Amino acid sequence: MSRLAAALVYAVLGAVTFVVCFPLLWAISTSLKPKEEIFRWPPTLIPERVTLESYRELLFGGAVASAPGAGVPPSAFFVDWFVNSVIVSVGSTAISITVATLAAYSLTRFRFRGQRAVPYVAILGYMIPSVIFVFPMFLTMVALDLPDTLLSLILGYVCITLPFCLWLMWAFFRGVPIEIEEAALVDGATRLQVFRQIVLPMALPGIIAASIFSLIVSWNDYLFGRVFMNSMDKLPLTVGVMHFFDGTHVDWGLMMASSVLMTVPMAVLFGFMQRHLVAGFGAGAVKG
Amino acid sequence: MRFRLSDRQVGVLFMLPLLLAVALFLVWPIVEAVRLSFVRYNPLRPDDQPFVGLDNYLFVLEDPLFWESFRQALVWTGVSTVAQAAIGVGLALLLHQPLRGINAFRGLLLFPYIVPTVVIALNWRWLFNAEIGIVNHLLLSAGIISERVAWLSTPDMAMASAILLNVWKYTPFVVIVVLARLQTIPTELYDAARVDGAGALRRFRDITLPQLAEVLAVVVVFRTIWTFNKFEEIYLLTRGGPGTSTYNLALYAFDQAMANLRMGVGAASGVIMLALLLAGSLLYIRLTGFGREDRAA
Repeated sequence: MSRLAAALVYAVLGAVTFVVCFPLLWAISTSLKPKEEIFRWPPTLIPERVTLESYRELLFGGAVASAPGAGVPPSAFFVDWFVNSVIVSVGSTAISITVATLAAYSLTRFRFRGQRAVPYVAILGYMIPSVIFVFPMFLTMVALDLPDTLLSLILGYVCITLPFCLWLMWAFFRGVPIEIEEAALVDGATRLQVFRQIVLPMALPGIIAASIFSLIVSWNDYLFGRVFMNSMDKLPLTVGVMHFFDGTHVDWGLMMASSVLMTVPMAVLFGFMQRHLVAGFGAGAVKG
Repeated sequence: MRFRLSDRQVGVLFMLPLLLAVALFLVWPIVEAVRLSFVRYNPLRPDDQPFVGLDNYLFVLEDPLFWESFRQALVWTGVSTVAQAAIGVGLALLLHQPLRGINAFRGLLLFPYIVPTVVIALNWRWLFNAEIGIVNHLLLSAGIISERVAWLSTPDMAMASAILLNVWKYTPFVVIVVLARLQTIPTELYDAARVDGAGALRRFRDITLPQLAEVLAVVVVFRTIWTFNKFEEIYLLTRGGPGTSTYNLALYAFDQAMANLRMGVGAASGVIMLALLLAGSLLYIRLTGFGREDRAA
């Protein structure tokens, strides 16, 4: 490729990268500004004075005792929401991954009737929009006396995470060679020993990739949290932060600080596991 | 004595959680959604669920808002999908070039996919804020616009902003899939074409495009189905507004069930969405031969 062409490619990619990164850079910049600077016109690109005020309010606002009857500001619940999101994402991922891994192993190592329907079920499951699942599931939770509990949210998220975990684990196990297992079985190992000691370690990259997808999907969900949950202290982050719009005055500093704090765990996962993530994308396990 | 399982029993045992989960989390909600679509159900009076036949479906099909939502969903889906496919293929081609540092770009350009929708919606509302938003400021100072644009409070601009959000978030999906396919095109094809004197454009038209055709069809079907049913991307940005100008079917169904407490009507519109989705999935299966023995292996 000529140098001119290469320079052009870099220029276009640079411009696109800027567009991709700008919303988050702008969020970071806004989150670090003092309140009066946020509302200045024309806006300052880089904060003139850097302050962690917004972060402090989110992370430690709950500790500030408010006067009785004055009403607790939504930001006081931020840490609760964060913990809730972690619990429900990890909980539903654990269920989906366990179920999917066991089934995918069985599907690729045994033969039984109806087996061929499974990929269809998986693909159908992950095509169906949450808005169809959410109300029947909600009514079921009401019938089970579970609404407004983190457990209901964990179960709800299984609806959206299980199909593609199954899909990914199934694709993954098809690529794991069967010969080592056969050798171990011939040597007298039981199937369960083979599964624990040989298959699970080999399947680890697939399990990690599927877990990341599952965590991202449940961390991102808004709809289930919005329909299932009521109490302020039990909301997941996504539903909680939308309450910042409730008042008449919108505090963009708080908003952007919560944006940053919500993205950080995903960015860490993403950076840490990028190789697995790309492998997973290649296997077609994308929900979006 | 230790309890030992036969091979066969392990196989069945491992399938049981999935069968249970599929029954509980996939079959049951869908069956329940279909049942709800035939009853009148107000969640405030859960014990009173009279069967109303096709009333809910008739209500939906006679509701002008449903058709408005449907038309808007077509615009939202069509523009988003075409833009994602075009930009996605272009970027994938650039990212396929053997240049130094290209891996860093690949990583960065996948980033939007993992950003929570709520975060993007918050950022968008801030970026496109009519009074003090940075987008208006940048466009004003560049002289592209002469007065502030009310991005989220005029119907056309709200739809455009929502589409932009959607394209920003999901173009990486197209990039990844197309890039993966590009990497499997044998380089001999290009070498042979070069020997035959084919220029870059010829090579793109006669080798790259035909090789990408199948995967592009798949990507477009997937993106069309998913985009058509998107809820959060629109709801969090505009709440369907201003007025009802950015409603799609998912927002319509949500609104009927949540705001109007007509669970039956919401379920009926959900079932209609499901029918459209099944039609799209069949098309996908036809296009790719998905699940056939030769491909499943």
